[in-house]
Formats: sequence, C-alpha cells, structure tokens
Amino acid sequence: MAQPRSNAFNNIIAQFDEPWKRYAAFAVIVALLLIAPISLGPYATVILTNALLYVVLALGLNVVVGYAGLLDLGYAAFFAVGAYTVGILTHTFGLDFWLTLPFAVGAAMIAGVIIGTPTLRLRSDYLAIVTLGFGEIVRFSARNMEITGGASGISGIQQPWLFGWHINTPFEFYYVFVVLAIIAVIVSVRLQHSRLGRAWLYVRHDEDAAEAMGIDTVRVKLAAYVIGAIFGSISGAFFAVNLGAISPESFSFQQSVLILMAVILGGMGKIPGVILGAFIVVLAPELLRDLGEYRLLLFAVGLLLIMLFRPSGIWPVRGK
Amino acid sequence: MKLTTLLATTAIAMALAGPAYAEMKIGILAPTTGSEATYGQDMANAVNLAISEINAAGGVLGEQLSSVIGDDGCDPQQAVNAASKLASSDVVGVVGGYCSGATVPTLKIFGDASIPFVITGANSTKLIPANPGNAFMINSTGNDQVAKAIEYFNSVGAKSLAIVNQGDAYSQDLADLTKKDWEAAGNTVLAFEVANKGEQDYSAIVTAIRSANPDAVFWTAYYADGGLLIRQLRQAGYQGTIAVGDGSNSPELFSIAGSAAEGVIGFSNPIAEFLPGAKDFIADYTAANGSPPGPYAPLAYDGMHLLATAIEAAGSTDPAAINAALMDADYPGIAGQITFTPENTLARSNFVVLKGNGGKWGLAQ
Amino acid sequence: MTIGVRWGNLCMSVFDIFLQQLVNGLVLGSFYALVALGYTMIYGVVKLLNFAHGDVYMVGGFVGFLVLSVVAPMVGPGWTGVAVSMVVAMIAVGCLGVVIQRVAYQPMLNAPRLSILITALAVSLVLQNGVLTLTHGQYQPMGADLGFGGVNLGLLFISYNQMILVGTAAALMIALELFVSRTQYGRAMRAISIDKDMCRLMGINVTAVIAVTFFIGSALAAAAGTMAGAYYGSVWYFMGFLIGIKAFTAAVIGGIGSIPGAMLGGLILGLLESFGTQIPGIGSEWKDVFSFAVLILVLVLKPTGLLGKSEQERM
Repeated sequence: MAQPRSNAFNNIIAQFDEPWKRYAAFAVIVALLLIAPISLGPYATVILTNALLYVVLALGLNVVVGYAGLLDLGYAAFFAVGAYTVGILTHTFGLDFWLTLPFAVGAAMIAGVIIGTPTLRLRSDYLAIVTLGFGEIVRFSARNMEITGGASGISGIQQPWLFGWHINTPFEFYYVFVVLAIIAVIVSVRLQHSRLGRAWLYVRHDEDAAEAMGIDTVRVKLAAYVIGAIFGSISGAFFAVNLGAISPESFSFQQSVLILMAVILGGMGKIPGVILGAFIVVLAPELLRDLGEYRLLLFAVGLLLIMLFRPSGIWPVRGK
Repeated sequence: MKLTTLLATTAIAMALAGPAYAEMKIGILAPTTGSEATYGQDMANAVNLAISEINAAGGVLGEQLSSVIGDDGCDPQQAVNAASKLASSDVVGVVGGYCSGATVPTLKIFGDASIPFVITGANSTKLIPANPGNAFMINSTGNDQVAKAIEYFNSVGAKSLAIVNQGDAYSQDLADLTKKDWEAAGNTVLAFEVANKGEQDYSAIVTAIRSANPDAVFWTAYYADGGLLIRQLRQAGYQGTIAVGDGSNSPELFSIAGSAAEGVIGFSNPIAEFLPGAKDFIADYTAANGSPPGPYAPLAYDGMHLLATAIEAAGSTDPAAINAALMDADYPGIAGQITFTPENTLARSNFVVLKGNGGKWGLAQ
Repeated sequence: MTIGVRWGNLCMSVFDIFLQQLVNGLVLGSFYALVALGYTMIYGVVKLLNFAHGDVYMVGGFVGFLVLSVVAPMVGPGWTGVAVSMVVAMIAVGCLGVVIQRVAYQPMLNAPRLSILITALAVSLVLQNGVLTLTHGQYQPMGADLGFGGVNLGLLFISYNQMILVGTAAALMIALELFVSRTQYGRAMRAISIDKDMCRLMGINVTAVIAVTFFIGSALAAAAGTMAGAYYGSVWYFMGFLIGIKAFTAAVIGGIGSIPGAMLGGLILGLLESFGTQIPGIGSEWKDVFSFAVLILVLVLKPTGLLGKSEQERM
C-alpha cells in the first residue's frame, strides 16, 4: 500500500479543515482565475475555459454519483441535451440565446426524469449500464437525425449578446465560465447542507433504512438526476455558443468517463476535490502533450491505483 | 529567494515567448495520434519535407521556416485545443486538416486569429459555409468526388446503387450527396445503410445489400471498416462492383480485406505513384522518412509550397495580403494545378479512379 | 429497400432473406453467448458485473493475433492456425482474468458497491488504453485466411466459416455445461452463487472456485475474441466496448446468473439484431439504439430475464 504518499497528502489536506481557511483558499483561487488570461495569454485562456467547463460538469455529476451514490455512466447525455437544444433553437429557429436557456433547463429536467425513472429499482451495477445505454442512445439520436445536423452536427451557432455586449472572444467566454463555475460551486455547497443533501446521504448508505425513515427515495433519486441534468445542460448550452459548432463526437461514452474521472480523481462528494479533479483531467493532456498516446493510459492507471489504495479519491471525504 | 524566482520566471517567460532571430513558424494541423494517425503523420512529414526544401532555397522573405504541430486526433474537441495552441504560437499560416468533422470547428479559431489556413485533406462540403474566408481547400470537395463516382458508375452501366457510410461527418456528407445526385439522374438507391464504428459484424447490412442486389456498392467512409465490409460482402457472395471513397484509399485496405479487395474501385485524390511530376518527391520523401509517401502526402506538400509562394507574393506576413495572394493563386503543384473558386475550393476536380490489383492500387483504365 | 429483385431470373424472396438473417443471427449470437457466459458466471460467484469483461474479449483477440502471426508460417493461416491461436489465447487470457480478480477485485470485497464498480471500470480502461497505446489506435489485420467457400441452398448462402464458428461456440458451451453440472468445481460454483458464506462454513475453498470461474469466463471471452478477429478480419483496441454491452444485454435477457440463460440470451439478441433492422423505420443506423432499448425494456419489465431466478433481492 502506498502509505507514505497518502500521509503527505493527508497532511496538506488537513491544513484546510477549518472553514475560514477554505474560504480564504477559495478567494485566492478565484483571484488567480480572474487575472489568469491577462498574464498567461490566449492559449492558456482557452485551456482554462475548458477546465472551468469541466468543473461545472463534474460538480453536476458529483450530485448524482457523489451525493446520491448513483453511478451514472451516461452523463454526457445531459451535456448533449443542453448543447443541442441551444444549437437547434438558435441556429434553426433563430431564437436569442438567453431565451433558449429556459428550454435547455426544461429539456434537461425531462431528460433527467426519462433517464432516471427506469433506474429507480435497479441496483448500482445495472443502473450503471442502463445510464450508459441512455448516453449512447442520445448520441446515436443526435447522429442520425436531421434536426440535429446528423453526423456533421450544427455549425455556425451565433455568439450571444448581453445588454449590448457581444460575447465572442475566448477572453470574454473565459469570464462567463468563471461566473458559471462559481455559481456551480455555491449551488453544490448549498445542496450538500440542505435537507435534500442529507436525504441523499441516507439513501446512499442504506436505501431500505431510508425508506423506513420516511424518505421518498423515488423523489430523492429523481431530484439527483434532474439537478445533475440541469448542471450538464447549462454547461452544454454555453459550450455550444463558445465553440460555435457541436457534433455528436463530443457526447460519447469517453466524454462521460472523462467527467466521471474528474469526479473520482479529486474525491467524490467533496467539492474542492471535484474541482481539482476537473483541472487535472483538462490540464494533464495539455501539460503532458509530449506523452501523446500514453495520456489516457496514465489516467486509467491512476484511477485504478486510487481506487485500490484510496477509495475516496485524492481528497478524502471526512466522516463517511 | 523571491528575486531569484522572479528573475528565473522572467527568463523562462522570455524564452517561451519565442526566438528573437528571424524565423517564420508554420502550423501543421493533423491527426498524428488516433485512428487516422498514419495519414496525419504522413501529412506532417510531407509538410516538413517541403519546409526543408524551401529553407534550402533561402527560406521565405529571407527567413527560415519551422513547423509547429497541432495534433487534432481526428476529434473536434482535441482539434479546437490544437488550433488554439497553434493560433497562440505566432504561426504565419497553417497547413493541414484531414478529418472534416474535426476541422470544421477550427475554422472559426483560425478565422478569428486571421491565420491563413490551407486545408490539404478535409473536403466535406460542410466546410464551405463554415469558412470565414481565410481557409483554402486544395483537395477536391465532396461534390467533385460524387461527380467522379457517378461518371464511373455510368460508364460501367450501373443503374442501382447501395450506399454505406459510417455516421461521421465526412462519410455521411459524401453518402447524402451521392444519393441526391444519383437519384436526380434517374437511377435508384436500393439500400442506404450506416455501419456503426466499433461494430465488426456487418451481416445485417450485407444481407440487405445481397437481397437488394444493386449493380454497385459505394462505401463512403474510412479504410479500416471498409476493409471489413468488403470482406464480408464477398464472403456472402455479392458479385457486383464495390467502390470506395477517398477515405479508404490507403494501401492498408488490402491487408484488412485480403483477396476480397481485388477489383475494388477507389475514387481518390492523386496518389503519388500515379502522378507524372512526383518522381523526385517520392524519392526525397522516402529518403527522409524511410518509407514511401502515403495518399495525402502530395497534397500536403503542395499545400506548404503554395503557402510559401503566397507569402512571397504578398511580400509580408500580413494575413490579409497572404489571403489575397492565395485567392489569386495559380500554382503548379505536383498533384495538379491549384486555382481557387470564389468559395475558396479547388477550381478543378483532382479525382482519379483507382482499381485494386494484386494487393495494391493501380489506375483503372 | 426492395425485397424482391431480379438476379438473373431468380428472386430473393422474403423467406430467403428470413433464413439468411437467421444464419446471421446465429453467428452473431454465438459471439454474444460466449461473452455473456463470462458475465453471468462471474456475477454468480462474486455478485459483480465485470465491466472489464468486454475488454478481456478484446485482449483475447490480440493475443490470438500474436499467436497466429507466430504459428502461421508453420501451420498456415487457415483454421488450424486459428485453432491453435484460440487455445493459447484462452489459456493466457484465462490467467489474465484470474490476475485481474486477485489484483483488483479481491482487495475490494468489503468496499462499498460503488467503489467496486468504479474499480471494474478502471480495469476496463487500463486494458483498453493499454492496447490503444501499444497499437497507436490502429486496426490490426488478423492475418487469417479462411477462404470464401460455403454451401448454397437456393439463394441462401452459408459459409464454411460460419458453420465452424457456430459449431465451435456450441462445443465450448456444451463443455461448459458438462463442467458445471458434472464436476465438483461446477457444483461449488452453483452453491456459491446461492449462498457464499454457507459454502465457506462448509469448507469449500471459495477463493479457488472464484479463481476457476474467472479463468473459465475469461477463456470463453478470449475464444470469442480470437474467432471474431479471424472471421471478421481485424482486431481493434475498442472492439470490446460494444460487445461488452451487447453481451451484458444477452446475459440480462436470459437471466443473469443462469448459464443456459446466457446462451439463450445471446441467441435471442443476435436474432433480434439481425431481424430488427428489417423493421421499416429502423435502419442500420439505429441498430445499436435498438439493442440498448431492448436492454432497458428487459430491465424495467422483467429484470430477472427469461431463465433467471425470481429473487426477492433487489436487482
């Protein structure tokens, strides 16, 4: 067992256990994020924007996997729903981006219910495969239908205007994603400490006992899917206008796995860990570019090692 | 301690900011990893060969060229990252682009950064409307390929067709275009199938084709799965013509399909060994890389030379000037004359018809 | 899509197509069944859906390719060579299965369900990406030359390869059935799937039986992988993904934990897929969606499958 390594990590992590220290660290990180584009240049800005996108996605999946304990292997489906809703409504129907957001959220809620309902009585193994199946169904549908642009997807998506400000440079999108990420963090924290968050905890630990306690497990689980879906969908919406073009390849199983890796590598259920995981997942390929094809293998091995030696991820969940 | 760190950081930053000596950087966008890596590597090699020739002749505008590779892995997301990296690397122009689906989102990035982009491989018609004006396609587009294919099918008296694609941007586009034009000419499409990537068993498609028994089957996707389909078609006893598009023009098709690939027709951009003016190129490429050039090497080579010529003609590295020079280009490439239509596509069709013969491609008569 | 077309003066009637798709379905189903058996057996003894099983199939294909490239110069690239490759692959990958169980799953026996599942996913990714790195993501032609001969029954064409394939798969499945019903290990496997702790108390070497189960399950998948490589023509690092899910679907249709169920499920799924694309409106582009939809429907409507036990335990 890799004991020395875990002890070192434990020591660093233990420094941040008091709330004021965590807020301070958070503030420092936000400040760094705010000045990053200016000091690091356009390429770094694009990469960091990507990292922030994954922060939101990972926090969303964290609600489903980390809080509610539902192993969703098809999370990219929600990402796709948001992206394609925005893509279709703005490109084909000419709606203004901000008007399409409620539709994206609505579509996400519907998707969350559709995907969540069949899994309600299933055990985690089956749940995982069913969600995987749904993820693939969404991807194939996007590829096969004309309204989603077929395999070529939708291109030429217009960038949004906000009170006369045209958001269309990487620089500007970066700050939009910073705001999104901050909102995502705040919402995640509130959820964790809410009654719903506690209900998820009970359901995750022992569903039958939770039922006996009077928790409506059906509603609680569906709530997890729906909220996770909304996170994913909003990410997808902004992803679509940022990139200007979307295609089915971005919503594959590999994408779902990547988001899941972000959640786990950092630590399920623990928000700072999930954020760290998202950065690892996005930055590592760029920093390790020379390693080319070894990247994915390294991630996979890393994931395996973490599962074997630190089942709660790099950042441990206090008081499981 | 702090001062040393500051100095060290500044030094590193300055070093990373680029050399101060006269050097022009060219970006190469190609899938050097992933399933199309052989094509991508091939393209990169060809561009570098062109660069070494240009440098030996004195460079461009007096400066030596160097290349920066952006690996798009044939994936749109990765392509965007690669393109951003190139865009912020102070490149004067970009040469490359193989997978159409991955190339489309990069157009905006190069457009916003005003970087001239010579596209040497990707040729889906979806690139045309997405082009902000600074991209130039030197591989004949899907429209030309369809015209060539229909011309060939007519020449062998085919009246019915089965079209199989793989559900990706390039092959689906080609399949749709073929269907449209074929039916518009009064012929029939008896089967329009999609082979999902990752499936090895095409028996359902093969049975559908065999039962419909069209005069010809047209596979519009890439060689790896094309080889499997050809094998299974022949194993099942289909005896009509089998034709493949330019995504399957790799010699690897024959190792996968085996003897089933005898007589298979391929529509392709010119492969080096069939180009009259490419003898020196083949020799130089083989000497530099230890193996002969692949199907997309001549175009990548031409693309680099074209860009260099345009920069010389523009007299500066100003993007607008280079753009204008490219639009007026009339360059004799080894793959054929390069001039552009108002839509920045190649003004003539460079497609030829190949035929599988003895385990490799030969020119069909 | 017309169904009666002139070929000379003959017509391929609906019946011919039906028979042809039946043959297709049998061949496809044989692969699914072989892989599904591994899923079902492993689930029976450790109550875990081995995510990495599809990738074990893929590794089997690659090992088969490697062995074939070594033996082909000696015995030729035909069925003899493939048979030798298959046997070697079965043994090698069977051992790999045992190693995976010891290294990855054994330590996690008392960990939360979620952790075990993610570990299985991690193993799958390691196998996949390992092979990806080694092969640079390229398709690897198998190098087998099995010929195109076959039997013509009217317009129905059954190739010799198809017959050998289905025959081999059937032989393997019969061998498995005999093993499970006649030997001590087989009885122990069935006992463990009913009540593991009781078996331990009764002195059964549970660890050894689990190892044997993983060995056999992985060996069967490897056999399927090698045959698939030889029959279809190439092996690829990602080929385990889709078949993993399809085989799982097959196991579920037949009833997870039931060995005859896995075989039946494999056949049914193979036939469903072959005929499914004939349904108007469902073209080949929806083929996989069709399979996933079947999976979801079965899990929602009859989670215990056709031959599975109706357990009170939550599925």
